[in-house]
Amino acid sequence: MALATPQSLTTSVLAAQTVEAVKVYGKGQAEACALNGISIGFAKGQFSAIMGPSGSGKSTLLHCLAGLDRLTSGKAYIGGTDLSNLDDRQLTLLRRDSIGFVFQAFNLVPTLTAKENILLPLLLASRSGDPAWIDHIVSTVGLAHRLSHRPDELSGGQQQRVAVARALASRPEVIFADEPTGNLDSRSGTQLLSFLRTAVDQLGQTIIMVTHDPVAASHADRAIFLNDGQVVDEIAQPTPRLVLDRMNDFGK
Amino acid sequence: MLRVAIKGILARKLRLAFTALAVVIGVAFMTGTLVLTDTINRTFDDLFATVYKGTDAVVRATGQFDAPQGMGAQRGRVPAWLLAKVERVPGAAEAEGDVLGYARIVARDGRPLGNPAYGAPTLGGSWSTVARLNPFTLVAGRPPQGLHEMVIDRKSARDGHLQTGDVTTVLTEAPPQKMRITGIVRFGSTDSPGGATVALFTLPVAQRLVAQPGMFDTISVVADKGVPQDVLASHIAKVLPAGYEAATGAQVVKETQSDVRKAMSFFTTFMVAFAVIALVVGGFIIFNTFSMTVAQRAREHALGASNRQVLGSVLLEAAAVGLVASAVGLGLGVGVAIGLKGLLAALGLAVPAGGVAFLPRAAAVSLLAGVGITVVPACSPARKASKVPPVAAMRDIVTGSSGYGSKERVAVGTVITCAGTSALLTGLFSGVPDKLAVVGPGALLVFFGVSVLGRSVSLPLSRFIGWPLPRLRGTTGQLARQNATRNPKRTAASASALMVGTGLVAFITIFASSTKASIDTTIDKSFTGDYIVASGAGLMGGLGPSLAGRLNRLPEVEVATGTRAGLVKVQGSVRRVLGLDAPAAFRLLDLRPLAGRPADLGANSIAVLEDVAEQDHLRLGSQVHVVFKDTGPRALRVAMIYGESQPAGDYVLGMAAYRANFAAGYDNEIFVKKSPAVSNTRALDAVNEVAAGYPGAKVLDRASYKAEQAKPVDQVLSLVYTLLGLTIVIALLGIANTLALSIFERTREIGVMRAVGMTRGQLRSSVRWESVMIALQGTVLGLAVGTFFGWALVRASAKQGIEQFSLPVADLAVIVALAALAGMVAAVLPGRRAAKLDVLKAVVTD
Repeated sequence: MALATPQSLTTSVLAAQTVEAVKVYGKGQAEACALNGISIGFAKGQFSAIMGPSGSGKSTLLHCLAGLDRLTSGKAYIGGTDLSNLDDRQLTLLRRDSIGFVFQAFNLVPTLTAKENILLPLLLASRSGDPAWIDHIVSTVGLAHRLSHRPDELSGGQQQRVAVARALASRPEVIFADEPTGNLDSRSGTQLLSFLRTAVDQLGQTIIMVTHDPVAASHADRAIFLNDGQVVDEIAQPTPRLVLDRMNDFGK
Repeated sequence: MLRVAIKGILARKLRLAFTALAVVIGVAFMTGTLVLTDTINRTFDDLFATVYKGTDAVVRATGQFDAPQGMGAQRGRVPAWLLAKVERVPGAAEAEGDVLGYARIVARDGRPLGNPAYGAPTLGGSWSTVARLNPFTLVAGRPPQGLHEMVIDRKSARDGHLQTGDVTTVLTEAPPQKMRITGIVRFGSTDSPGGATVALFTLPVAQRLVAQPGMFDTISVVADKGVPQDVLASHIAKVLPAGYEAATGAQVVKETQSDVRKAMSFFTTFMVAFAVIALVVGGFIIFNTFSMTVAQRAREHALGASNRQVLGSVLLEAAAVGLVASAVGLGLGVGVAIGLKGLLAALGLAVPAGGVAFLPRAAAVSLLAGVGITVVPACSPARKASKVPPVAAMRDIVTGSSGYGSKERVAVGTVITCAGTSALLTGLFSGVPDKLAVVGPGALLVFFGVSVLGRSVSLPLSRFIGWPLPRLRGTTGQLARQNATRNPKRTAASASALMVGTGLVAFITIFASSTKASIDTTIDKSFTGDYIVASGAGLMGGLGPSLAGRLNRLPEVEVATGTRAGLVKVQGSVRRVLGLDAPAAFRLLDLRPLAGRPADLGANSIAVLEDVAEQDHLRLGSQVHVVFKDTGPRALRVAMIYGESQPAGDYVLGMAAYRANFAAGYDNEIFVKKSPAVSNTRALDAVNEVAAGYPGAKVLDRASYKAEQAKPVDQVLSLVYTLLGLTIVIALLGIANTLALSIFERTREIGVMRAVGMTRGQLRSSVRWESVMIALQGTVLGLAVGTFFGWALVRASAKQGIEQFSLPVADLAVIVALAALAGMVAAVLPGRRAAKLDVLKAVVTD
């Protein structure tokens, strides 16, 4: 599969995209370029993994796409919405209504129960959501019996599953996952990734995941490789082997 | 890690500034009060030393008894014929008799100057023709010479828009007098002695208007050159008959200085009490801040610090904060002193001009108090920090402490509260000599005890207070409620500081409301007439007696009778007694006579309140020993026993006995009953017409009399509110501080909430409501404590005529609403800080 150029794709089939995305940190001598003109699109209903060595810009790309950080130049879109035109409030509402998040850790609000954490974006929007959908998600991630527990009463794997359920609850345009398995043992990690896979295959969600773990990346439909702030390669239907080989190339 | 450390230091800077500010305010207030006291003492000392410089000896009647509150020894007058004897004493160069009494100058606009009931006195006296003896100096015009001439003090001239050549009215015991102002005088270096108004006449006029013809209040003597004061005084003493004494000028100066100190000591005690309250509230905040930061510090330096190091560093930080804050407070205190001086002037008590007296004592006390109030509350958190393993401290931060506190805490809190309560009740209800010294610490202990217990009731209380929040404010409300309940210890500690302020506000509000309700009831119960003519005077002066006579002669009036007040020493204690025209007054005042008849109240008899009679085993015909300033000790026979303590007080004299023993004859109030045949309007018009000739006389009907009586209560109330407002501001600083720290600790979860869609507005709202919950928790506890204090004081004041306990529900609701509002204000800065948090950094920081 060839690199998708944004010009060739209409926004209607893309859940997220960037055009000539540039992100520069610092000023003058301390200036560091995290994104060096990245143009990339993410199709709806696709599970993408963004990979690359430390400092390659993969997290920055995710943050800028997710409305947590702003580009220095270029454009980032969620669906048809240009993020650069939004103020803080509009960005917040976009995150609430159109984006789901799964972070590496500290995903949940410690004072809220699992159920409340799952419903948090909906509650903040004063919406009740679709109860059937919520029930479906909860049973899919296997949390039905833990809903009234607070985060400190849940295991790390359970906490991440709550985070996934929260990300799915409002049927967002796209879900961003930042090293979601980074703090989990391999069994919980695998379980979590299969939930993400299920969300894409059965619930029709779009997921963009940053990871440095080839096994995690192998659950995705495509793996995109970044280095020095640029997209350097892409593998469709990645396997751990293929990804690992590609990763090892960076070391050379 | 470095980023966290830098953030920590920045957060600490703000926190230290907030904490320090709480101490600064308390210390500034304390310094201000002490500096003001020193300034007042010094300037008055200097003033009297200067103006009496030329007086070498003073002849006066022997003091009969000492009156409280700096009114000094109460003594009668000196017969004028003594002057000739004194003048001939060897060593006496010059001698002059002088009088000083009550007179009120009417301003250009027709209103009498001064407020003798609650402010500085309004004085009338004789102009001294012996320059060395005259404390006043002319700044304009000439001395009074004629029958209708006077000089007035410069302050009265300024306040009353009067100048030399003007003719104005002067109110004295005689009917109102028209007088021409021939000059304006100063008292030493000041425009008026302590804010009093002064009208000075020629000696004979002064004797007639404010004293008695043929009598002086004192005779002042100048010594021959080279004759020491004590020699002169002892020479004079030899020629004086019994009952009179000669004091040296130096002695009189000393007495006057000490009287002024005593008169001011009430104000000083009052202000020091508020300074202590402010400092205690600051102490609560220090305790809370150090409790929080010590836990944070344990996390930051999870490893590598010994217990001793932790303890030492915390105490060192406390001492440093205390020292710096106290130094700043000291500096600001001088400003506060100047402000308080203005406050005094607004109350009508002018402090003479002159520099501020900043004595080492004030500095030492304030510094010590400031450092003490910082270090002592920091001890317990510091000690705890050095004992708690860092891991536990870390856990405490993330999840907060929960539950209801240990059994030991409940036990300690209960013991402290009970000890405080019993001290309070003992002070109020038993005959302890210095009530304030027992009640004050008792009240403080109650506050401490409740704040210790507050941690145990915090959780259910917060849940209760926050119950409507999720319904009112949705998810943000729910988050606020959960945040306020997640660390009950911290919430309780922050609330405690506010509890003190709101508790005292509630207390004083309840007490004031009860006082006013009691005044209303008393008036309804005991006043059976229609109108009251009030003088606005206190113990000295009032309405000339001619007014009551003229009212009585009106056809529209059935009866009008004046009541008089005077200070006596009776059965060993100094009391205010009421003098009234016995048969007439009892037609207007229902004192509930239980034994004897009003008509029996003759020149040698007295009426006694039932409770007092019981206590002192007095029956009709028993003897009561009364000391009068003018006539000395007398034995009066109990001719009546009555049951109603208001407005009569413990003892009542018939007019015959009053006249026989008091030189002055002013009516304090005149009670009027209209003739039944006349309409209300007609009677009121007639009374008003007569009263118009007596400036200062206020004609009041029942309702406006009640309002008038309540006025001083409201004045005191607003003053106390102002001062307590200060402690509430300090408490709000504490709440803001707690919130800021909590927000810093919750950086990550705030980041998560912002990331998943919490707007800045929602975040600010949740901080705001959390703050409101803390504020309301303090207020609820404060209301509980304040209601108890109010109830106790009301019950203890039954004898003073406050017989009714009234809970002003509307006022208390306003307090709650204001506290909630204040909580919102306290949340503004922390909320803004939280909203500005960088979401990305908050979420991804490891």
